Order: sequence, then C-alpha cells, then structure tokens
Amino acid sequence: MLSLHNTKCECGHQNAVGTVLCESCGKPLIEDAESDAPLEMRYDGVARRSQKSNPNPIDKIWNFFSSVKIAVYLIVITLVTAMLGTIYPQEGSFLNNFKPSVYYEETYGLPGKIYYKLGLSHTYDSWWFITLLVMIGTSLVICSLDRVLPLYRALSKQQIRKHLRFITRQKTVYNGQIDGDAEEWVKQFSAHMKKKHYKVYTDGTAMLAEKNRFSRWGPYINHIGLILFLLAILGRSLPGWQMDSYVSVPDGDTVQIEGTNYYVKNEKFTVEYYKDEELPPELRGTIRAKRYETSAVLYKCTSNCGDDASGEPVLKEVKKQDILVNHPLKYDGIKLYQFDYDVTPKLKSVNPVLVNKETGESYGPFDLPMKDAPLDYTLGPYKMKLAANYMEFGIGEDGEPVTLSRDPNAPAFIFLITGPGLPEKGQPYIYFPMQKDKEKFDQDKLNASIADKLEIKVNGMENVHFAEASTYLNVRKDKALTYVWYGAAISMLGLLLGSYWQHRRIWLRIDDGKLSLGAHTNKNWYGMRADVAYALRKSGIAVDPKSLDNGGNNA
Amino acid sequence: MGKYRKTVQIVILLAVLVVGGYAIGNTLFAAKDEGIPKIGEQPPDFTLADLQGNTHNLSDYQGKAVVINFWGSFCPPCVKEMPEFERQFEKWKDSGLEVLAINLSEDTLTVNNFVHRFDLSYPILRDVNRKTEHKYGLESYPTTFFVKPDGTILDVFVGGMTEKDIDSRVNQLLQ
Repeated sequence: MLSLHNTKCECGHQNAVGTVLCESCGKPLIEDAESDAPLEMRYDGVARRSQKSNPNPIDKIWNFFSSVKIAVYLIVITLVTAMLGTIYPQEGSFLNNFKPSVYYEETYGLPGKIYYKLGLSHTYDSWWFITLLVMIGTSLVICSLDRVLPLYRALSKQQIRKHLRFITRQKTVYNGQIDGDAEEWVKQFSAHMKKKHYKVYTDGTAMLAEKNRFSRWGPYINHIGLILFLLAILGRSLPGWQMDSYVSVPDGDTVQIEGTNYYVKNEKFTVEYYKDEELPPELRGTIRAKRYETSAVLYKCTSNCGDDASGEPVLKEVKKQDILVNHPLKYDGIKLYQFDYDVTPKLKSVNPVLVNKETGESYGPFDLPMKDAPLDYTLGPYKMKLAANYMEFGIGEDGEPVTLSRDPNAPAFIFLITGPGLPEKGQPYIYFPMQKDKEKFDQDKLNASIADKLEIKVNGMENVHFAEASTYLNVRKDKALTYVWYGAAISMLGLLLGSYWQHRRIWLRIDDGKLSLGAHTNKNWYGMRADVAYALRKSGIAVDPKSLDNGGNNA
Repeated sequence: MGKYRKTVQIVILLAVLVVGGYAIGNTLFAAKDEGIPKIGEQPPDFTLADLQGNTHNLSDYQGKAVVINFWGSFCPPCVKEMPEFERQFEKWKDSGLEVLAINLSEDTLTVNNFVHRFDLSYPILRDVNRKTEHKYGLESYPTTFFVKPDGTILDVFVGGMTEKDIDSRVNQLLQ
C-alpha cells in the first residue's frame, strides 16, 4: 500500500499522495533509500489523479474504474463472453418466422436449449454485454484522464537539475570525471544532442535533453479513438441510427420500406440461370441462378405519409438503379441489397372480354385486377357491377361462398350484369379467371341459365398478367458506421504515435568535475544508449554503448 | 485543476450513467419486443381509417375500455365471432365499451360486403399492407386485446371467442 508519510520532498516540493518520484527534483520518495536498482519511471513517478488519502463514495467508484487491473479483467471477460456468442448462430441472423425458443433446442438439443436459456443466443445485444462495453468505456475514460493529466503536468514543467539519486538510478547511466570548465563542457555536449534533434535545456552545470515527447500521448489518442468507437456502437440503439430489414416487392409493385419514408418499386426482376454445360456434372439438371437483378426505383414520400390514411401517399422519385448482388442501391445513408427472390407466379390482373354467346359479339376487353378491382363496368349494351370478390374461393360450412385466404390463389368475381335480355335488377355471374378453378368449381353450372347467353373470358395469355417474381431486398442503414471508422482511424493514429516514436530524455549534472548522466526512454534502449554514447564520444569520452546499461530488463 | 476535480468526476460519472443507462435500458426494453403485446403492457398505437373514412387513433381511446379485435373474412373463427362481438357491443356500449375491429388488409369490397352481411355497428378499421398487424406481431387470427381504461392490456385472446368469453372479460374491463 501507498504510505501517507513523506509526501514532502527534501527539496521542499509538496507532492500528492501516491507520488513515487518527487515531481520536482525526481528523488525517489517511497522506495528504500539505500537501493541502487533502476527506478520505476512509469508516468514519471507522479501520482494518479484520483489517489486520495480519504476517498468518499464517488472517489471509490472513480478509483474502481481508474484501475488498469480492473480494465484488464473487463476486457478479458468481454472477450470470453464474445467468444461464447459465436458457438451457435445468433438470433439476429435468421429471417421471418424464426422462433428462437424452438429452434435452438430442435437443432442443437440440450446444449442448444441451455444456450438459449442463458441468453447467449443474443449475446451482443444482451444487457450484460452492453453493460460490459459501457464499463470498458468508462474505464477507458477514467484510466486515461487519471494518468494523462498528471503526466502532462509533470512533463510540461520538468526540473532540469535532478536529484543525484534520480540520475544514477536510471537504466542508462554514465559516471565520470570532467576536466576543465563544467559549464563549457555542458554547452558543447548540448550542441551534440541538438544535432540528434533533441530539445536541450541547460541550467548552469545541469542539462536536460528531450526528444519526441509527443509519442507519450499516443496511447491516450488511441483511447479517444476507442471511446468514439464504443460510443458509435452504443449509438446504434438510437432511433433511426441503424436498420437491417427485409422487404419483398412483387414485379411491378411499389412497397413502403417499413420504418422509413421511402418506397421502392420493382420495375422488373430478372433472373438468369446457369446452362447445364456451365455446371459441374453433379449439379447438372438443377436450377442455379447465375445472375439476378431488380430494376428498382426509390421514392420518397412527400405528403400523405405515415399511418394516417387520409389519402394516397404522394411519391417523388429520388433514385433509379439496377440492384445486383454486391451492387446495392445507395441513397442518403440507406442501402438496398439484392438478397433473394421468389419466382412463383402470382396472378395480378386479367383483361377479359364479355361475349354474347348467341350473336358471337364480344365487348371489351376490360381490366380486372385481382386486388381492389373497380366496381362498375360498361361493355357495349351491358353494364356490370362487381358484387363480390374472393381471393381464394371456397364454400364455407354454411354453404355460402367464402375466401380461404387473402392472396389471389383461386380468385373469383361475382358480377351483377344488366342489359338486353337480362332482368332489370341484374343477373349474377361468377367468373373464375383461372382455368383450373373454372373447372374445379364448375363455373357454367354455378352460373346456370346465364351461362348459355353470356360468357366472360380471356382471349389468349397476352391478356393474363402475372407478377412473375418477387424480389427480396435487404434494407440497411448504419449511421454509426461512419463514426466507427473515425474512431478506428484516430485509434490507429494513436497507436502509430505511441509505437513508432520513443520519448527519450537525458539528464546530466556536473558536481565538482564529477559528471553524472542518466537517460530514460519508454522503449528501444539500444537507440537510447547509442545516442548517449555518440554525444559522449563527440565530447571526448569514448565509451562502449553497452557499458552504459545499468540493468533492469532493457530492450 | 484541483478544484475542478470533483466537478469533472461527477460530470463524467453522470455522462456514463446517462449514456450507459440509455444503452442498457434499450437492450432490456428491446428484449420484450418479441411477439404480441402481453398482459400489463401498452398496446402499440395506430392510426387507421374506418369504412366512412374517419381516422381513429388508439390514443384517442385513452380512458375508455377498448376491445381491439383483428379479423379477416378469410378466417372462419373470425367470421363466427363477429356477431357475438356485435351483441356484446350492443349490451355494453352504454357502459362505455368501445370495440375496434381491425380488418387484416383485405380489399374494400370484401370488407363492405362482410360488414353489410352481419350488420355490424362498431367501427371497422382498415389496416393497410399488414402494417398494424406486423406492429402487433400477430401470428394467428383472430386475436383480441382487452385494453383497460388506463391503457394497459387486461387480457389477450388468440382464437375465436364465444359470447361468454367476451362477456366475462368486458365485465372485468368495465369494473
């Protein structure tokens, strides 16, 4: 533990609790005074900002996060739990109709069930994982702040004349005798240091030479980048910052992208398959898509948007593009990726004609969409009123016609037809656009007497319109990503500053012709010793760089 | 520097509390977001038009006992329970019961025909492109929510309801 006594140094400087080396003269304060082992130079021996003799509750929380040991534990725990999240697929990687409560047990048995029950199936957005990230972020801020401020203070007001014990207990040390004027000697030694791009400060017979102090800020810049990175990731939970959803658009349809003000139209979906000779033998005869693309138009809603159904939304085209795999449509931060397709044809509309079977005359054709068909039709002398429609025609328990679903799988329309030879209040006529339904439900029999007079039919397939395919698009938006990149860039810059440059310092003082020199760097001691040996040699003291080594695990 | 230390500590810890609290709170809240709204929760708000073109917000019904019923003409139990809801509505409407029957995105003609056939008097709301049913996370039909005047759900019933089922719940709602 840190002792509370001797915070005042013999040089008269009052140091903060926890100071290892006097902030002013550098005299070791808490170590055994008689030891000659190299000094612990971390943070230049200054106390961490939050170290206090009587911490209050806020200080205690602060000190918890200020500990590097805690930070390491947090990082290790986060790494381990992040690994657990990769054992089975995460819930987020599945699409529609995915029931996690059933899936994990069915697919992986008991381990899967346990995995799901423990909540590991959504590790990365679980409250405890986010809590860990928040704690790491807090620890980053507090650890950095507690160390960078005192370090900055210590480095910006360095004493030139250091305590002798401070100098002689550095890891690179030289002691020797100087002949002649000490101040002159210091001056010419300084000149040699300057040539090596050191900044030199002298105080009579004492000198401090320093180089690349900025590299000390590298780790803290790195931390700023990491904090930005973490904040950006947490920012994803802000409304509107991230979306990852899927939209299915039938050929020719315009569909709103849920949760946005955008609509996307599938003008035409095309898929091209591999020819048999292009496939390896074992895949021949199977259908393999070679290329599929959607001619898409992106619209922005300008009025009548949102849920209030006061009218049709007014759309304005903002972008038109063919969407292919790996070639998403990008607009204003939103990206539409080609994801999948469905080529099961769905009946969209038919253009039938009304035929008078007795005269052979035909009227029309008229447009009959499967969804929201118009209610009134005028065809020559006949008037038809749409009385009912069924998406999937069937007969209910009570014998009444019903629809079995809301998709046009077996559409049927009941018209009330009026005209020459028909009752004034009209005669009902049921029409099945699809031939299979016509036969299955026996259209002519249902229509009875009118079936001999009139017929609604389509002439040829050119009058039948299918939505050939639906395209599935993946809609993505990630505002956080920009900040993630900025964070990563800043963090990398900090890493470079901290690792490619070294902060080197040399202190020396001459007392009665006796030269004491000590040097410190945060890495690359080989280079540090070479610099010292160079300047000494130029000043007339030939010395082997290796002999400057004062021990203490120097690299 | 020293005199700001305490302020800096408090500001940073507060910022952590706000940012962290928001992020963690969000994950806790999102975890509940699966499936249909449950008993005790607030049902998601919606704005839908009825057959006359008037819009209805669920939030307008705050303070009233509301039954939200999702139905489609293609779903036999829905068809069966509609007259039962009609009778219940007639019975309780003077006590302040509101029934909002949300059609599952069928076309106008189908809905009109259906409503005329059963002569329904409570508002029939028209969902469009299945948005509201997605918002409610519906998986099967019919599904009925009984919402108390304080805006929270008293009960959720998935499947067709008999008049007795409805009656007992409405009774609780209006207490």
